[in-house]
Amino acid sequence: MSAQGEDLGALLARVALKERAAFSALYSAHGAKLFGICLRLLQDRTEAEDALQDVFVKIWMNADRYVPEVASPAAWLNTVARNLCIDRLRARKGGGVEAEVLEALPSLEPTPEAEAIRASEGRRIDDCMGKLEGVRAEAVRRAYVEGESYLELAERFEVPLNTMRSWLRRSLISLRECLGDA
Amino acid sequence: MRDLPPDDIALAGEYVLGTLPLNERQAAARRIAIDADFAREVARWEAHLDPLAAEVTPVSPPRRVWEGIETRAYGAPPARAASGLWRWLAGASAVSAVFLGAILWLGEPLMPAQGQMWVSDMVSDDGAVRLAALYNEKTGEMRVSMGGKAPAQGRDFELWLIAGEDPPVSLGVMPRRGQAAMPIPADLRDVIANATLAITEEPRGGAPEGVATGPLVAKAELRRI
Repeated sequence: MSAQGEDLGALLARVALKERAAFSALYSAHGAKLFGICLRLLQDRTEAEDALQDVFVKIWMNADRYVPEVASPAAWLNTVARNLCIDRLRARKGGGVEAEVLEALPSLEPTPEAEAIRASEGRRIDDCMGKLEGVRAEAVRRAYVEGESYLELAERFEVPLNTMRSWLRRSLISLRECLGDA
Repeated sequence: MRDLPPDDIALAGEYVLGTLPLNERQAAARRIAIDADFAREVARWEAHLDPLAAEVTPVSPPRRVWEGIETRAYGAPPARAASGLWRWLAGASAVSAVFLGAILWLGEPLMPAQGQMWVSDMVSDDGAVRLAALYNEKTGEMRVSMGGKAPAQGRDFELWLIAGEDPPVSLGVMPRRGQAAMPIPADLRDVIANATLAITEEPRGGAPEGVATGPLVAKAELRRI
């Protein structure tokens, strides 16, 4: 774990106790990263600012749900931001239906295998993405980083929607086999 | 713990990637809440895929974002609320200590959004009885704080709402000391703006017929703060 990882973990623990100074420090340390994630997904500055506020309010309310053994602090924070922005994105493209966001974030029990996932972070995914066919890895990356929907991916790769989806699902299963059970 | 079928593994992956259409995404979110194995699979995907976020460049958000977060997380931006409050207090006449106490007792949020709070600061002519009432338009709750001389033995102070030409409506009997929270009935919330609050001294337990019988102790208009 990096020094910054340890810092974020300590800050999150203090935020869970509703310490405002820690919350402010957490925002200083990781707010720009989360804003980057929101901007990239939403492609709209005003909406990204609004989403970032939701993200941090959610972090303030749910910091006690963070389980260090299951995810790194940065990964947990990134996940809160991605989930919220993708909910907005899908609601926007789904005809303005209000996204039913999980009000309380789920909290998982730490298990030995969860700890193994954490330990493996960052190493396996690069190898496994490398084993996918180039366009398939690109589709996974575009979905994750740019928040592209199946419709957008289908248009980009010029394949029918259903083909796109079965492509990506097969890619995910291959990826998962490569990543292993951990 | 059971092994998930490949379809569910792919579904969990799709959920984390974010490609699911809204209705399927919502269904998956509900499943996370009730199916621990599925939730664990989602967590695995989250951990495995998180390194892909490394390519996202951090961007400093504008200052107003943090101000908005503070307002929403803590109730109000502390510095501004305080300065607004003190400015208001400095300009207000006849502010009693009990009123200050009531404001402080309100706790967080110190001052919700502008224009949601109403205050009535009642002081008897001789200054012996003081009562402060704060009404939160948003929650419909009135909080009152009693100070000064308690009512005589066997008597109670009762709080009344006077709106326009209508007869006073009882809001309840005041505690002899300290504070009380009282919800305002829905049908009175519309008339409370610009109404006057009054306290009378009544037999123990309050005016028997719901009509004020005792002497008027103090009254003051509700003002928006």
